[in-house]
Amino acid sequence: MSGDRIRGAFAGLAVGDAVGWPASRHRAALHAPWSRRLHRELDAFAEEHRVTTLPVPFALNQPTAPLAVGPSDDAEWLAWTVLTIDRPRAEAFRELAAADVRARISVATALDNLAKGVEPPASGHDNPHHFDDAAAIRAVAFGALGRDPTPDAQVTNAADGVLGAQAMAAAVAEAVTTADVGRAVEAALAVLPQDTAIGHNARVALEIARQAGDAFAAVPALDAALLDHVYSYGVGAAQTVPVALALAEAAGGELGKAVPAAACLAALADSAPALTGALAGACGGYEAIPEGWKASARTLAGCCLPHLAGKNLIELTEGIA
Amino acid sequence: MTYRDKARGCLLGLAAGDALGAPAENLSPDEIRRRWGRLTEIEGGGTDDTEYAIFAASLLVRHGHGLSAELVAEAYRTEIIPRVTGPMRGAGFSELGTVEALRRGLEPPLTGLAHSHGWSDGLAMRAAPYGVFCPGDPAEAARLVEQDGLVSGSGEGILGGRAVAGAVAAAMGGASAEVVVRAALSVIPAGSWTARNITRVREVLSEMRPHAAATSGARPPGGGATGGGPAESGATRAPAEVELVEALHRAVVVKHYPWTDIAPEAVALALAAFLVGEGDVEAAVTFGVGLGRDADTIGAIAGAIAGAGQGEGGVPARWAARIGPVTGKCLPVVAGRHVLDVADELAKGL
Repeated sequence: MSGDRIRGAFAGLAVGDAVGWPASRHRAALHAPWSRRLHRELDAFAEEHRVTTLPVPFALNQPTAPLAVGPSDDAEWLAWTVLTIDRPRAEAFRELAAADVRARISVATALDNLAKGVEPPASGHDNPHHFDDAAAIRAVAFGALGRDPTPDAQVTNAADGVLGAQAMAAAVAEAVTTADVGRAVEAALAVLPQDTAIGHNARVALEIARQAGDAFAAVPALDAALLDHVYSYGVGAAQTVPVALALAEAAGGELGKAVPAAACLAALADSAPALTGALAGACGGYEAIPEGWKASARTLAGCCLPHLAGKNLIELTEGIA
Repeated sequence: MTYRDKARGCLLGLAAGDALGAPAENLSPDEIRRRWGRLTEIEGGGTDDTEYAIFAASLLVRHGHGLSAELVAEAYRTEIIPRVTGPMRGAGFSELGTVEALRRGLEPPLTGLAHSHGWSDGLAMRAAPYGVFCPGDPAEAARLVEQDGLVSGSGEGILGGRAVAGAVAAAMGGASAEVVVRAALSVIPAGSWTARNITRVREVLSEMRPHAAATSGARPPGGGATGGGPAESGATRAPAEVELVEALHRAVVVKHYPWTDIAPEAVALALAAFLVGEGDVEAAVTFGVGLGRDADTIGAIAGAIAGAGQGEGGVPARWAARIGPVTGKCLPVVAGRHVLDVADELAKGL
């Protein structure tokens, strides 16, 4: 296990989290509510007048930092996981009830369940978005430290949501140990049964990416084969984790090739780049990440977990990496 | 009472609950009370619930106990997909996701797993015919409805269908309301979300039902005297029933989710309505649609279970008069079919 590669996994996730449009929408949550009301009104204006590309988000008489390139939800949940990793998981989540958090539907429902006395695994199971990748994001921390992500995952997720966490942890654990993206992918596949959507999709995605021979070239075929064109679930683990595995492998573990390709799958652009970045970052290590991205991605915004605003993600890993 | 009579009551109750609940879908109980007091009169036609139930019944008539997921998938390929030329109106996410999965060449069970709406109540809303087909045999009804569910759902969506089919089968066999709910629980794992939610609503009812029973006892059983205007029924609404509705919501409603078609929630609320109505079609359905959320499906399920127990005569005549042949607006293949004819066909082999 390499400290540089553990830092690489964390920084890589933050870089992937920072790329693209979804991050700017998350970070806009830091502005006053009236600014987001204006977003909605401008959307309606654009619809009515048939004009495109209105200026959202924006900062007016407000701090401008949230409009700069930077990490959003996933980097914050990863940092929170690192900070609470030694605590019993349900207990750690319960404390969030008092905080003013923004979270995926799986996490919001799990917090409701915990408040009602519904304990894990039911808290993650009796949950309409049990299949999302909230736990897969947190599993990057467990994988980097060689720990089992399951008890954490079961607080907020079930079925494909838990399998996604187990696959990410297995892949990241292998990558921080060997730096070999092929072995990381094999480690993930070993925990994904073929008769699940995530297991089926992972094998389909890898086959597509191998045939394309290149991460960017694989994008249209991945969209056609994997994405739900009826309902664009941004964060289904059965889509985002397979895409991350396939693109990281097709890019030979190179973050600069894998992450931009993941960001091209518009429907998955919220979290697939972050998962892809974590895998590629773990393979290549922190030193391989471009300096400009390291600088932009490491400072947390506090758009989901306000108490983490301004914290440095990489400093948080000191002592463990 | 003959099986034919019960079958007619079941599918008529389903269609009436679907039509009555349609305008209340996604409204809060407060908003429903504000608009209608108690919603008791059917305003328009039914929705996908009735049309998909007719489609399911046609599969049973053709294949009987030999129905398999492969045969259901084949019916989607030959009877549903070719007629989807533009938007597939009135279909839920799970059916649309399934059509996309079939077009991609997937086979069940992956067709139901590949989309993320496996928990949809799309199977529960059309599960009643499977119960009609297996009177007194909840386990067989659950086994058959699962064949349908494997094509378009997974996990809790299939369990919701199993629970409803099991309940209808028990009601067809003449079971009491309590035994009907036990039959629903008997065909799903105790550790499922659906089973936990059914248990949760039963706990609420056992704590609060003395008041609710007093409220419903004030109405003539199965009578039409509850069809008063909003002002009248709103004014006479007992606070105990408002509290009961709120307690049921607290027990099983998912707060932070924009969609309401979640099978563990809809099935538990429908069974709660069935118990509150003590098996009476009108009492169960009007309470059920007053819960809001997926009100048409809650009404359809409660109406189907109660109707299977009470027979055709248990469905208010003024509701039956509003149920005509379906238009096929959701499923063109069933256009022109009437639930009563479908019930007769289902009952023929029993």
